[in-house]
Amino acid sequence: MKLQQILITTIVATSGMSVREVFAECSRTNIPALPFCTKTGRIRGRVTLKNIMKMSCLPEYVVETARILGDQLSCTDDLEAKARQLLDCPVDPYVQEPGITINSDASAIKALAIMEHNDTSYLFVVDEGEYRGIVTIQGLARTLAALDRQQ
Amino acid sequence: MHGTEEVLTRVAFGWDPLWVASILFIFTYAIIISEKVNRAIVSLLGAGLMIILGIINQQTAISGIDFNTLGLLIGMMVIVAITKRSGVFQFIAVWSAKKVNAKPWGILVMLSLVTAIFSALLDNVTTVLLIAPVTLLICHELEISPYPFLFSEIFASNIGGTATLIGDPPNIMIGSAVPLTFNDFILNLAPIIPVILLVTLGIFYVIWGRRLQATDAARNRIMQFKEREAITDPRLLKQSLLVLALVIAGFVMAHPLHLEPATIAMFGAATLLLLSNITNRSEEQSENVHSTFGEVEWVTIFFFIGLFIAVKGIEEAGALKLLADHALSLTGGDIALTAMTILWVSAIVSAIVDNIPFVATMIPLIKSMAPTFGGAENLLPLWWSLALGACLGGNGSLVGASANLIVAGFAERSGHPIRFLKFMAAAFPLMILSVLIASIYIYLRYL
Repeated sequence: MKLQQILITTIVATSGMSVREVFAECSRTNIPALPFCTKTGRIRGRVTLKNIMKMSCLPEYVVETARILGDQLSCTDDLEAKARQLLDCPVDPYVQEPGITINSDASAIKALAIMEHNDTSYLFVVDEGEYRGIVTIQGLARTLAALDRQQ
Repeated sequence: MHGTEEVLTRVAFGWDPLWVASILFIFTYAIIISEKVNRAIVSLLGAGLMIILGIINQQTAISGIDFNTLGLLIGMMVIVAITKRSGVFQFIAVWSAKKVNAKPWGILVMLSLVTAIFSALLDNVTTVLLIAPVTLLICHELEISPYPFLFSEIFASNIGGTATLIGDPPNIMIGSAVPLTFNDFILNLAPIIPVILLVTLGIFYVIWGRRLQATDAARNRIMQFKEREAITDPRLLKQSLLVLALVIAGFVMAHPLHLEPATIAMFGAATLLLLSNITNRSEEQSENVHSTFGEVEWVTIFFFIGLFIAVKGIEEAGALKLLADHALSLTGGDIALTAMTILWVSAIVSAIVDNIPFVATMIPLIKSMAPTFGGAENLLPLWWSLALGACLGGNGSLVGASANLIVAGFAERSGHPIRFLKFMAAAFPLMILSVLIASIYIYLRYL
């Protein structure tokens, strides 16, 4: 199975794009991250849902004390207003180093092996520096499940 | 000409071993202090050069390594690495905060006491690594500044760690080298620790205590914390506490049992590894053991190894004997003056630089004073002075102890940075006060 069969095409995140737009695209395509590209289309980094959540509402000490957290926390007061504020923020502060990439002509098993090796569930598909889309472990499972139904 | 005959015949290019060893040691020390290069790398390079330049041979270098110190450190690190997975530290921290109905001053006192006790029985760094996040969470929910709490925990960790043989690396080194038992430390150092801690907390009350206020709603949020959920593995908790209790009992009984603390700690670590893995498949066991060993602070262990060899080098070259003679000529061979000098110099130096290399250097230096004071048995006041000075001195500045830097790191990442000078402005005088109390104690009890 080639990656083209399981490739999910997405828009890319760019400087000035809002968190809302990234959330919307990730929800629509059911993916955990988008590449962050320059105006010329080169990948400069990545924006992940996990990192946005972590940076915006999970300080280190909250993560460290996760199990003892009670049901009432001051950070959950006025949650909607805080969420709206986050959604209107630009994604730029949340950009991380570029993710792992793979060519579109690689096999699915190679993609799986690279994911496992790097402890990730997605890879950006890039051909000669140009972003083609993303492959995810969920996307692969979906394709395999569809094959089973077709048989 | 200095040093032994064996040394003199082998030093590269016929250089004077005293000068080569001293320059090399000072250079190593300076790079460690500068913190430009990882301290384990520096100490291992310094140790390697001591051998390559012919100041000592490999056999002598290995004889300089205190394997009892290393064994005790590694054994306790393994026990702590497994125990902390059970969640017991966070459970006790939250439980103690609830016991005082989430009143801010009560929480400060309780968390400080918990930190001091854990630091005495385990190690300071692990203690603050687990207590600091709980403190930050509590303070955030109480809507008060975490600064007084973190400041107090830094002090509590260094004061508490002073009380026992296993509380702080300097004590482990001193206990192993002299040798002094776990009970010796309990009987000689522990009695003054509650006094120093109470005086320190009293001053904190005057500075911050009366101003620490929280609303009922905020306190109610703390009371809803689920400390029981911190216990992730009740079976592991029971195993860890059982082994820890047996290890401490072993330390207490070490002398009549003719066992070294390292044997007890390593045996305890192996037992806990066995208990926590006995029901696992062999692959899971390998993974767990690998992960547990990964949590041992190997940087510290290799730092110690390099340091022991480097110190052996200057000792063999005769530099420490020369330094000891000079120090004794300054104090006129007076035990009281020598003890006070060691106490205060140790405290000041430990506030500014890492106390481990300092103590490693001081141990052979103090040992060489034995003939002046009529034998090794008369050096006890000097050992207690060194332990009190080196451990309490860690409170003098943010860089005085590893635990201080861990707390400062957490504080900074949570948006409440602890500034170096602001901390030192309050911490240094408080450290001086604690050393003053220690001076009175040493003077009244031993001199």
